[in-house]
Amino acid sequence: MASSSGNDDDLTIPRAAINKMIKETLPNVRVANDARELVVNCCTEFIHLISSEANEICNKSDKKTISPEHVINALESLGFASYITEVKDVLQECKTVALKRRKASSRLENLGIPEEELLRQQQELFAKARQQQAELAQQEWLQMQQAAQQAQMAAASASVAQQASSSQDEDDEDDM
Amino acid sequence: MSQTNSGKDSQASEAKKAISLPISRVRLIMKSSPDVSSINQDALFLTTKATELFVQHLALTSFNNRSQTEANTLNYSDLAKTAEESDTFHFLTDILPKKILAQDYLKTLEQMQDEDSDF
Repeated sequence: MASSSGNDDDLTIPRAAINKMIKETLPNVRVANDARELVVNCCTEFIHLISSEANEICNKSDKKTISPEHVINALESLGFASYITEVKDVLQECKTVALKRRKASSRLENLGIPEEELLRQQQELFAKARQQQAELAQQEWLQMQQAAQQAQMAAASASVAQQASSSQDEDDEDDM
Repeated sequence: MSQTNSGKDSQASEAKKAISLPISRVRLIMKSSPDVSSINQDALFLTTKATELFVQHLALTSFNNRSQTEANTLNYSDLAKTAEESDTFHFLTDILPKKILAQDYLKTLEQMQDEDSDF
């Protein structure tokens, strides 16, 4: 699909999009292939026509960017004034959709809290988590040490007890 | 999660209903016009929609004025006819090489050769 020629003039609206529009406009009508191809090229020609005219109007107005106003005036002067109402309606719709999308995303992001505050809260949570982890690790270490000590002590006292009981028997015998 | 997705989808389909042609492609074509520098996004929307209306307008007009009214077909010649006869669509004649029948062309060729052979 990559164009090897790179020639700007080969740019056209995709054939499929045109076919779809023709089908919607003229349902049940058979359209010759070369006629379809011609419509594709007419589109490009139309876009050039509007762009050039709008560009001229723009240049005369001392502005650098072609504005919606320039396009509308171009349509008027080229005999396409009948398009203007519908075209303006669509513009309004596009703006509304874009606005809704922006509002929705910012609502989700902010939740009314400024960014610095959110960052600060995040840092706090991280610090707390780190501390908790450190404490936990230390506790576990202590417990292990204690367990080890206890085991040692148990082993030691067991052997002491054995010795003690053997000598105790001797004492008991003396007292009697 | 499903709620936000369906919200996005309905917004996307709203925009889809408004414009069916690819806006990025229209921008590329506009910029390939000589001297055109920058185009406001809204101006781009307008041009795209105008192009859509143009396609519908051209197709309908050509079909209604077609030479073969008995057939439910739109031919190349119908479009060419509309371009030549209509003021609004006359700018299209630039890209319309007049299609001539092969036999007519051959006849013209023969005539030219005959003229040459006279000398």
